[in-house]
Amino acid sequence: MSNFPLRDRMHANDDAFKTSGSLFGLTKLNRKEDDPGTYEAVWHILSNLCNTAWATGCKVSSSPIAAEGGDALWALHTATGEAVCISRGISAHAGLLSDMIKHFIELGYEDYPGFKQGDIFENNDPHYGGIHSPDFDMCMPLFHEDKLIAWASCVSHVSDSGSVTPGSIGFLNPDCYSDGIPISMERVGEHDAFYPWYEMRIRSRTRTPDFVMGDARGRLAGCITIRERLQDVIEKYSLDFVLDSMNEYVEDSRRYAVARVKNQCVPGRIRKSQFKDLAMKGKRVLLAKQDIDCMFNLPMDLTINADASVDLSLAGASGTVPFGENISPTALKSGLMMGYSHIVGFDMFNSGPTSAWNVEMPPDGSWANPYPVDFQAASGVAWAPAVTWLSNLYEVFGRLFQMRGFVEEMAAGSGSIMTAEFAGINQTGMYLTGLTLEQASQGSPARGYSDGQNSAWCIYTPEGDFGNAEVGELYYPILFLGRNVAPDSGGFGKFRGGLGHTAVWMVYNTPGLEYQCGDAGMRSKTVGNHGMYGAYPTVPDRPGYGHKTNLKELIDEQKPLIHERGGPDNPAVTSKIIAELSEDSAVAPFVTPESLVDYDVIVHPISGAQAMGDPIERDPESVANDLNEGWTTQRVANDIHGVVTSKPNGHLVPDLDATAKRRAAIREDRKARAVPFKQWWAEERKKVEAQENMDNAVRVMWETSMRLSPEYGANIRKFWNLPEDFTFTPDAS
Amino acid sequence: MSRYLVACDAGGTMTDVIIVDEEGRSVIGKAPTSPQDESIGYMESFWEALEYMGISQEEGHDFGASVETAIYTGTSMLNTVINMSGYKTGILTTRGFEDIISQGRGKQTFIGDQWSEITHMQYRRHRIPLVPSQLSRGVTERIDMFGTPVIPMYEDEVREGARSLIVDEEVEAIAVIFLQSFVNPIHENRAEEICREVMKEVGREVVLEVSNKVAPTTREISRANATVVQAYASDPARKQLYRIEEELEKVGYPHSLKTVLGYGGITNIRYPRLFEAAMSGPVGGLMGAKYLASVIGEENIVCSDVGGTSFDAGTITAGVLPIDREPGFQDMYVNVPMLGITSIGAGTGTYIRVDPATNRIKLGPDSAGGTPGPTFMEAGNTTPTINDVNLLLGILSETNYLGGKVKINKDVSLRLFKEKVADPLGLDVYEAAETCLDLLNVMMTEHLANALMVGHDIREYILLGYGGGGPLHLLGYASDLPWKGICTVPHAGGFSAWGGACMDYSHRRHKSVGAVITPDLDDETKLAYLAPVTQTWAALEQELIEELKGEGFEEDAISISRVVYMKYYGQLDDVEVVSPVSDLASMGNWEALVKDFEDLFTKMFTLAGRPDVGAYHINEVCVIAKVDTVKPVLRSYPLADKAPAAECKKGIRPVFIRGKWQDADIWEMEKLVPGNEIEGLAVIEASNTTLFVPPEWHVKIDEHDIYWITRKDS
Repeated sequence: MSNFPLRDRMHANDDAFKTSGSLFGLTKLNRKEDDPGTYEAVWHILSNLCNTAWATGCKVSSSPIAAEGGDALWALHTATGEAVCISRGISAHAGLLSDMIKHFIELGYEDYPGFKQGDIFENNDPHYGGIHSPDFDMCMPLFHEDKLIAWASCVSHVSDSGSVTPGSIGFLNPDCYSDGIPISMERVGEHDAFYPWYEMRIRSRTRTPDFVMGDARGRLAGCITIRERLQDVIEKYSLDFVLDSMNEYVEDSRRYAVARVKNQCVPGRIRKSQFKDLAMKGKRVLLAKQDIDCMFNLPMDLTINADASVDLSLAGASGTVPFGENISPTALKSGLMMGYSHIVGFDMFNSGPTSAWNVEMPPDGSWANPYPVDFQAASGVAWAPAVTWLSNLYEVFGRLFQMRGFVEEMAAGSGSIMTAEFAGINQTGMYLTGLTLEQASQGSPARGYSDGQNSAWCIYTPEGDFGNAEVGELYYPILFLGRNVAPDSGGFGKFRGGLGHTAVWMVYNTPGLEYQCGDAGMRSKTVGNHGMYGAYPTVPDRPGYGHKTNLKELIDEQKPLIHERGGPDNPAVTSKIIAELSEDSAVAPFVTPESLVDYDVIVHPISGAQAMGDPIERDPESVANDLNEGWTTQRVANDIHGVVTSKPNGHLVPDLDATAKRRAAIREDRKARAVPFKQWWAEERKKVEAQENMDNAVRVMWETSMRLSPEYGANIRKFWNLPEDFTFTPDAS
Repeated sequence: MSRYLVACDAGGTMTDVIIVDEEGRSVIGKAPTSPQDESIGYMESFWEALEYMGISQEEGHDFGASVETAIYTGTSMLNTVINMSGYKTGILTTRGFEDIISQGRGKQTFIGDQWSEITHMQYRRHRIPLVPSQLSRGVTERIDMFGTPVIPMYEDEVREGARSLIVDEEVEAIAVIFLQSFVNPIHENRAEEICREVMKEVGREVVLEVSNKVAPTTREISRANATVVQAYASDPARKQLYRIEEELEKVGYPHSLKTVLGYGGITNIRYPRLFEAAMSGPVGGLMGAKYLASVIGEENIVCSDVGGTSFDAGTITAGVLPIDREPGFQDMYVNVPMLGITSIGAGTGTYIRVDPATNRIKLGPDSAGGTPGPTFMEAGNTTPTINDVNLLLGILSETNYLGGKVKINKDVSLRLFKEKVADPLGLDVYEAAETCLDLLNVMMTEHLANALMVGHDIREYILLGYGGGGPLHLLGYASDLPWKGICTVPHAGGFSAWGGACMDYSHRRHKSVGAVITPDLDDETKLAYLAPVTQTWAALEQELIEELKGEGFEEDAISISRVVYMKYYGQLDDVEVVSPVSDLASMGNWEALVKDFEDLFTKMFTLAGRPDVGAYHINEVCVIAKVDTVKPVLRSYPLADKAPAAECKKGIRPVFIRGKWQDADIWEMEKLVPGNEIEGLAVIEASNTTLFVPPEWHVKIDEHDIYWITRKDS
């Protein structure tokens, strides 16, 4: 083991990778080749020790988000910070934890304040590699006979980050000063204990300190578990074997991902953009500059080279926004690692696979790299643009898999993420801020051969799950009136997207409540994603609510209440209840304008995912089954799938002859509306050049996209055949 | 006339029947499991066991008359769910939750998956729902978390829903599941009454189950699953058990058949909550271990069962087996108390592969099981398995596989293992084989020592190995951990069936409660808040006593223990604490309970994990009512000489270990007697198992015929 300072070793590793193409310069995996059994055995043990830490830490943690929602993660790292293996949990953070350790090393902490056994370091500050303030990243150096040999790390999402509005999804934050309690690359404890002032700060600067400290204890208990178990492994297998193998696991995993890309994809370049909106104009905001609508360009430009290395660029990413939806490049790359695992299925989950990627630094001043231009940018909910951007990865790789015939690996694109967060006194009289788990259980994307799964996936965590309503009611100040599958909430296609659901809540015995319909990757007015190969996209995220309702009277008279979101023809809130303030299709995100009172109602939709293929190629039996299950409607069956049904024995069955005729008619109708591409392009070009019927948010987006990435701008001009000096012109403000 | 116990363990592949006499002597019969009519496999196995006793079918035509108790452990309910052959079931549920079964929850789509599968989105699947949404009817009602009716139940909706399910859909069973019904069952119970009225009106009876009676504990999805499994599968499974009982009656068995509950008790097959028997498969072994432990005076045992497909493990601490109250079952989480058993896909049939992309060894998690079995059986499998490796290394005998009943072809193992494993790894065949075996042992060790033993000190535990493959791998996975002792039994292959005969007659009831005790409360208030715990204990105790009295037991034969599930307030996961006191009516009793809880918590989760706010939350209580039953006697034999008799030795066979071939003594287990001692390197062979003793180990057979294995240098 080298005695060089960690920073030198880290730089040497970088150089070795550049020159050899193998991490740590490991062109040969000696431990694996010489002793493959022990190599596997130690891998198994190290992975297991992370999971033991997870089991211990989650039990100790007091957060429903960690324990019921799995929003936590423990990892073991090399001395220079590479993640070797991780526990189960929110894998999106594996890269962040790794980069945090590297950052501590890079900043010279080895010299001052120094690293020693029992030290506890934390960071939640995006300026220094964090993601957003509620995600507390912790690491502890692990020593063997006075030498730092590895790191244990953990992240958990706390219920309140002390930001300007209660909770942990600070989409409304105008700048980083409103993001909440900062832990900026700090040593927060020694000798396996937190400093008293750490706890004092949490007590004075978060709204739910007992929960936040419970999570801190959970993180610590898990990291100590890793440390203690690692010593046992070293004793049994020798320090050299364990440390050599740790490096080899990372390189081995890189090779695995390269092999997967080589075997299952076609070399070439694919570009894909998603567009996320954030409509805030006219809503309750904190500063005047926030009285605007925003639009994000979320581009992915991916090239697979002949040697299966991957180049990734975000050229064209639009500018920062005066809200919490900006993310650091470090966090974005960490999310990339997670998204990559969803589609290629890592054999060993660690830093290896994405290190084979050449990720170009996103444009300075863009939502994906704000600080070089806007150091005050807020990142209260930095995941919001990132997870939407990541859905591109599903679609891009889906196309590549399809080209090689791996249809079983295709995924059409994830759902959007709209959160629900409450603050106030819950039923037990305790003040609580809490992010519900609803959004962690969306529909999963359609595959190349089957529908997606209902309420079973979440792009930000493989532990996607909404937990039990009865557990939610214990903590959150709400009473459930419904949680059913939402019909037609997934994209429409030959294989439909997995469906989302609708949570319906009534305020009861918890007056004074604040409800925040938050943005963690949702859409305000635009539709979510696109779907693939002729599919139709999912419906927008439109919540409903009723304030000062007649629900009490309806209950007393035993009249029908409200349990679902309803359809476009019968929206639930306005068709079922009377309220002083009611909204069926609210433009999210928002914080309710008034504190809630008893019998107020909230209808919170959770997204389905994207579909694959032409909806009129969908198996009519599947459409009939969805009708019988209440998961689609006759309107969609007839208009979109072209399926006609009859009901001979109490249940709907497809009428195949009538369906064939209906589908033929749809095809004819499509033909009648179609125009040649050149004609369409010419008409659209005129509109683009004139910036006709183009919202200011759209013009701002394109203007920043083209300005921050000049080459991208040139490509846009070239595509539309625009003058070389053409630029979009936002309103002066 | 001798009296006998007959216990059965019907596994996925084989049905074992063990017959135990009053002296504790036992014989085991084996036959293929017959899922369509389990009485066939049961009786075939029964007759084979009698054959071992020297009793022919003709002579044994009235053998049942001398059987004191016949017990079934097995898969009848499991098969009903797997085959989707249960009753057509509808549900009445809180309006807005009609999709509760078909929607399930995300977590149910990856039960038992490995992390690499969980992260890979494409593996995610919901099971086919036992109740599709079209057989679900919503009822407007709500009760809050304190039990207050917030929305009264709209009775006309219950009536309409029940009629629609019974008349229009022609369901055979209805399950009623309302939110928070475990706190206040008033709506569910009234819905039950209405359903019965509707049945009367339309002249058709269907099975009716309500969640607060089936599983009165929190987490509505798991409670709904429990209630649906009970409605869907109990009656059809019970019919299978009646068939076995009928066959036993034909041979003169005069009593009712008993079955094993997932939490380790036996009960009459007419027991109302038969869904509690759904996961009784691995229970026999743990209960056998518990009984064995009590006889030999040990309180802490780690039980390890190596089968063909899985490695199941559980711990007994201070004589108590932990309970999992929400186990995964057939891709559902179910509110049913079950012994805390954890499993991994690692057994003697586990497949060995080398990943072509990474050249890494992959063991399982799938396996060839008993059928088609290892490659040497030439029954269609061409992927090497762990038992192929055991054969290649000389640990398994070519002539003694399954007691010599099955002919095997070692050349096939050699050819396929070389081609598919050794050559890709660039290793010599035997070196590669030993590598794979070592890796399997590490996986098993990890499962035991770390996943299972969080918070326990291994030095206080005896490791017991059983199952057909248990003794074969025991010393491999015992590893060099500092166990207090390591042991196995000669009838390891039939130990789970034997364990079925070792259980007490026992019923158990859980109920969610909510007692939050914070430090700022005065003593009087604390005791008032704790009163529901004592009251619930008393109510459950009375309920269980009445149940057992109804099954013919005297009240003074029933013993009671009380349990709380407790945590620091705010935490979600609790700790099971056996109460040292019978009520919480005094501060002294409360403090005694808190002390036990805090000791246990600190032990499990380190001192750093222990909050210091002093607020406690009891969220569930449980009462266990038990009646002692006659169990097989664990006989004590006189000790013979250390040196086994000459006829015990079968010969010498080379075994490949630590990279070289070494001569191992081969012994015949059936001929060894208490007092004998054997030095490794040795292989001790029996008809249903093989004990492998590496060179550094020493075996001593104690007076109970238990094989204790220690390191020679210890």
